Amino acid sequence: MLSAIGTHGPTLSPLAMGALNAILFLVAVWLLVKPHAKSESWLWPLFLFVGLASVARIAMGFIPNVMPVTIMAIMIGSKFGVQRGVAFAILVTLASNAVLGHGWWSLFQIIGWSSVAAMASILRVHDSEGQLSMNRLAFASLWSVPIFTIIVSLSIVVPGMSLLEFGLYLANGLLFDVLHFLGNIFFAMWFGHSFERLLTMNEPHHQLAQQEREHVSTL
Amino acid sequence: MMRIAAFLVLTLFILPAVQASSESSSWTHEFESGYITTKPLFVGDDVFVRTSGFWTGDDRPIVAAFDVETSNEIWTYTSQTSLQFDMSPLLFANNGAGDCGQWDDLLIVGWADGKITAHSPTNGSVIWENQTEVDVIGISGKMVLDKDRVIVPTRTGISSFCLADGSELMDVDTGNIGWRNGVTITHAGYVFGDELGYIHEVNRNGSISTIFLGDGKIRHPPIETRHGLLVHLQRSQGSTIFLNGTAIAQLGPSPAIPVHHENRIYAATSEEWVSILCDDQTCAVDSTVSFRSNGEMGIRVVDSDIELWAPSNTPNGGWGVFNQTAMIRMETTEFDTYGTSAPGFSNMNLALGNDAGILLVKHYASYESPPQPSDANILGIVHYGAILVFFLLLCFSITLQNPKQIAKLGSAFILLVAIAVVPELSVKLAENSATQGEVEWDDDWPDEWKGTQVMVFEIDGQEHAIGGLMPQTTVYELTTLACKELGITTQIEQQYLGAYLVSFNGSIGDGWEFTVDGTRSPVGMSDAQLKDDSIVEWRPV
Repeated sequence: MLSAIGTHGPTLSPLAMGALNAILFLVAVWLLVKPHAKSESWLWPLFLFVGLASVARIAMGFIPNVMPVTIMAIMIGSKFGVQRGVAFAILVTLASNAVLGHGWWSLFQIIGWSSVAAMASILRVHDSEGQLSMNRLAFASLWSVPIFTIIVSLSIVVPGMSLLEFGLYLANGLLFDVLHFLGNIFFAMWFGHSFERLLTMNEPHHQLAQQEREHVSTL
Repeated sequence: MMRIAAFLVLTLFILPAVQASSESSSWTHEFESGYITTKPLFVGDDVFVRTSGFWTGDDRPIVAAFDVETSNEIWTYTSQTSLQFDMSPLLFANNGAGDCGQWDDLLIVGWADGKITAHSPTNGSVIWENQTEVDVIGISGKMVLDKDRVIVPTRTGISSFCLADGSELMDVDTGNIGWRNGVTITHAGYVFGDELGYIHEVNRNGSISTIFLGDGKIRHPPIETRHGLLVHLQRSQGSTIFLNGTAIAQLGPSPAIPVHHENRIYAATSEEWVSILCDDQTCAVDSTVSFRSNGEMGIRVVDSDIELWAPSNTPNGGWGVFNQTAMIRMETTEFDTYGTSAPGFSNMNLALGNDAGILLVKHYASYESPPQPSDANILGIVHYGAILVFFLLLCFSITLQNPKQIAKLGSAFILLVAIAVVPELSVKLAENSATQGEVEWDDDWPDEWKGTQVMVFEIDGQEHAIGGLMPQTTVYELTTLACKELGITTQIEQQYLGAYLVSFNGSIGDGWEFTVDGTRSPVGMSDAQLKDDSIVEWRPV
């Protein structure tokens, strides 16, 4: 929205954009293969989530700031940890922006959703028994918004832009942040349990709690 | 119940991805010479059109008939004697019978050399013809049918001819010349104006009464309202609208031919489009839009709504499409240029002609108004329908005291409301909070630009300015148009945050910023709205 005052971040050449995407994709692959997982119960659910999130984001691209990716990043981060959460963020952003449009902002979207996943790995939305807590998920719908918004908004910062200008830019977008929050709540309420079933589809029920404890992040 | 609600939500989200089918086909015909200055006429499966011009050499005006479906030329008729602009619209008379005989379907043509010819619509052959008074020019105004006769505005009065054989039944000479002096049928007889500002009322028995309206020219059929005759008088400077002999509005120069629909009259000049509302008391200007139209205008009734089409008589051409009070959109074609002819309409077809002498006929698959933003309308209806449905479901779940359902339905309901409200509210808030700037009028700019949108570019230290353009809605549209006119190349990317202007003439610099009337816009160029006289400046950051 700040295109009017020319603050759109650097414009990347197609070559630079391709190189950046390739690097990000390799990072995602590296995050998925390290360490060698004894159990790959997370792999297919994660890929399924990537596909689902990408398609949903593209399909809902016409609704400003309502996207299921945030709530899914929260659940991935909470369930599988930071490492898989970052991989999820990279893959979803690369896949969906292939349609919606790549640019300098892609990097900040990846960092934004990665940060949300990282925070979710700390402020988990699953209880000690690995069960999804709807109250925590609803709370996560709220705290994830400023994290994502502030990080993505950094993409418009250019030399000479004051903190006040940046603050005004954020303030201008507050209503859309409310929309983001309401969208998160909607996805949490309507699809939270379905997402959870997808995340645990490869796991024998008796292993769920144990695997949660064994999961180690390499980051 | 929840499954139904979920289905509704998914339907709402999927709808925009579905393109409503509004497929249309079209064809064009380019006449070798001349303009199209009168409305193409649809009759059955055919469309009739005439050319006009100041003819020299071997070129002459023609009337042509085309098959709407196939675009095949059915027949043409060329006048060898009409050398001036033929501005009298084609007139179709259905077969019938009257006191003076019976007749088949006729296409009646009034010519600038004073001739009136009646043609067979099927093959163009001349069924009958007659001659009216000529004073340099002959017939140039709109003819009308009155029972078994056609009423023809001649150069110096009116004549009537029997539809059956073309015999002259009445000839009234006012002594004053007329131009585009179309005739209106009233209860008493016929009314028309002239080039000296007189209105003539001719009874059916041929008696005439004359009223002086004012210094000026009456170049349209007077419009009969319940408050008296409405006339748009062209003056040496500007124009005046009279109602029952009293001036009710002063408008710009070179008025178009006003049209009447229900309780409104639509007029236009070189400066504005005007909607005049006739209520119980009087007729008065209700709304004005900056626009330039100097010829015919056409009314299309779509369901209960109307679309008024006015040709834009500017180098960029096109047709302004208005509702009762405002412009809805600009209709453009690939061959737009100056134009003064109204579009021709039929249920499924649209015919456009302009000064390039190109006829464009569009055939639509449905009765829907051709370029209506129906996708958005349908989406809006579904959206508000979904809000209502979820509200009702929410109320129902509250009565059941089911917390889970309340949370689900409540979140969906609030989200749907927010989606409807937030984008517009955000823009309004941003507009209200934006600091108001000032922009100075550059005295070097032509006076003709005053009251129009002006675009200024500062590229590599050099200022480029252009004004007098067709009013655009957004900065993005005006920028694109102005760059096209000035020959400035642009690179515009559609990015995450909206359309982003990368460069002018390859100059990227540190980015570009724009102001509207001296004020930085809180929104991007695609969303920044313009007034008809906005001044937009693009400068490097």
